[in-house]
Amino acid sequence: MKHSICMVSDFFYPNIGGVESHIYQLSQCLIERGHKVIVVTHAYGNRSGIRYLSNGLKVYYLPIQPVYNQCILPTVFTTLPVIRNILLRESINIVHGHSAFSALALESIFHARTMNVKAVFTDHSLFGFADLSSILTNKILKFSLAGVNHAICVSHTCKENTVLRGKIDPSDVSVIPNAVDASVFTPTSTERDPEKITIVVMSRLVYRKGADLLASVIPEICSRHSDVQFIIGGDGPKRLAIEEVREHFQLHDRIRLLGTVGHSAVRQVLVRGDIFLNTSLTEAFCIAIVEAASCGLQVVSTSVGGIPEVLPPDMIQLAEPSATSLVESLDKAIAKRRNCQLLSPDGAHDWVRKTYTWQNVAERTEIVYDKISAATEVTLADRLHRYNKCGLVAGKIFIFIAALNYLLLILCNWISPVQNIDLAVDCRKLRRLKTSGVNLEQSS
Amino acid sequence: MAMSCDRSRKKWQKVLYKDQGVSDNYVDESFLEEMKKNLHIRTYEFWAVVRESNVVMQQIYSVWIFVAVYFHMRNFVLTPQFLFEMSSAVTIVGYIVNFVILHENALTKSRWKDGKTMGIFLILGFSLSPILMTLTKTISTDTIYAMTFFMLLANLLFHDYGTDAAIVSQAFSLNAAIFASICLASRLPTTWHAFSLVTFAFELFALWPILRRNLKIILSFLLGSVVTVSVATVSSVAVVVFLLLHLFITILCPAWLIRLQPYKNNIHGPWDEAVIKQ
Repeated sequence: MKHSICMVSDFFYPNIGGVESHIYQLSQCLIERGHKVIVVTHAYGNRSGIRYLSNGLKVYYLPIQPVYNQCILPTVFTTLPVIRNILLRESINIVHGHSAFSALALESIFHARTMNVKAVFTDHSLFGFADLSSILTNKILKFSLAGVNHAICVSHTCKENTVLRGKIDPSDVSVIPNAVDASVFTPTSTERDPEKITIVVMSRLVYRKGADLLASVIPEICSRHSDVQFIIGGDGPKRLAIEEVREHFQLHDRIRLLGTVGHSAVRQVLVRGDIFLNTSLTEAFCIAIVEAASCGLQVVSTSVGGIPEVLPPDMIQLAEPSATSLVESLDKAIAKRRNCQLLSPDGAHDWVRKTYTWQNVAERTEIVYDKISAATEVTLADRLHRYNKCGLVAGKIFIFIAALNYLLLILCNWISPVQNIDLAVDCRKLRRLKTSGVNLEQSS
Repeated sequence: MAMSCDRSRKKWQKVLYKDQGVSDNYVDESFLEEMKKNLHIRTYEFWAVVRESNVVMQQIYSVWIFVAVYFHMRNFVLTPQFLFEMSSAVTIVGYIVNFVILHENALTKSRWKDGKTMGIFLILGFSLSPILMTLTKTISTDTIYAMTFFMLLANLLFHDYGTDAAIVSQAFSLNAAIFASICLASRLPTTWHAFSLVTFAFELFALWPILRRNLKIILSFLLGSVVTVSVATVSSVAVVVFLLLHLFITILCPAWLIRLQPYKNNIHGPWDEAVIKQ
């Protein structure tokens, strides 16, 4: 069964990032499988309106500017008319929101459910429970997940975290991991320095990504092994700490700081390394280590969040989030490299190519879509009941918001009736005509 | 039959790279196995908490004493000369006590510096007190009292009670108290009144907490009676409010805290941001 899917998020091209490439790749693979996919996001500077990306992927850049953290201002009700219009024009039957940080995604899911359109939510990150910002965000997440038909998480740890935060039934959450485009991340043995062992680090230099751990690990490793060099790509507030370490221990020829590395240049940096070091303190999935493994590097990483689930033990050395443990694991990896006991780069690349593919992700996502399409529709009363369970006081507030949204929808239906809304052209029809060799110019 | 089927099926592993033959929304028995609840819980003992709540009460005593002193000066019961002499004497005694307790080496330089600071403050204060008095003279008394209330409340909220909370700001707390004293000083008849009140406020809100922290002796009973007596002579309603407030903070709040402990629900698990171990 072919669906009309609307991907919604605040994070999309022209921004480059994990969520952005996830949405793009998943959309492309779903289009390959014959579904109709559109993307809805906010405006990026002057980039506002409708654009078409490859394979007829239609992107709606809504004329709303981001205010904070690349997200739009959450107003709950003001996005209803425009989202309703898009969903009706494109005859969407599934709305797929990405990222709990995205206000646009959460609002669109809410409006979709008000219009009885099925909704799926993908969570890409891990959250805490104890501090004030987490408590508020988790309440909002409970509200969103109370309405959603199904949720997708990128790792089992992420699923546990989402189930606890959103108080939803674990069988309503599917675990579908991220993937990499293995054709981009290919290994090349010629780029590596055969005399030395190169350790590559590619992350933002912030506290959350363990930059402090990195600063304490580097001098220890450099003193233990004289043939080890570090290449560090990425920038951030902790760059100063790394530079200080370099100054203090006189390691100018052994540490190279590249600054911010553009997305297209990441592979070039990765293939120069033998070992990839990841020191993050929290990660839901960590695409970086899979990219590194695809380029044939041995991975050494802190065992946090979803990282232990991603790569098998022969491709990754896990360590506790402490300097001593990381140094130990790095020693083991370096020793293995010296004794040529590591998996060959081509072997690693082939493994990643077969295991983490976007086609696999799209296939599993399609199963989720099929399941929710077949499910019976929930009535307004049932939805309000579910919102009520979100909390003693919050439940009542959420019921009020949901009811008000429903009334606003009726108002929208009266002002601009469904029959008067033109349906957009389905790009799939054009593709079918094109692939079947019909000359479009002749037919007009 | 069912048992042999179970044994042949391999144990489900929490990994993403293997196709384990189950659907994506499969929930294994080991789901949420690594979740731990209430790891770092502290058990509270009632009387220990009551003793610790004294820290808050002592600052509240300061506030009440200050307001009572203002009202006494207003009613001409307390003369500014007496207030100035008493507060200076107590400050000097307190300074000596603090010096003795800390067992500081008798660096005469530090004594000289302190003496200089005190001298500068007194001279500046006295010469600026006519200005201080007229600063808020044009504002109506009701507004003054309202502002004083909020400023003293801010002093209580942001005071450093010895915890490591983000809300603590010793500077803001002191500033609020001094602003309150300037507000009240404008309601007094002469500059001498204003000067003695502001000086008293400084000694009470800036210097007394330092000594209090170093003393670590519970002077509560003595202080409490002093406050009760001074407030009682101003207004009987106020003293009842004070005693109720005292009861609330010292007895009811600790009891409430201990009653709420069983409802604690701290969740820990592999999703937590790692704490770097040394």
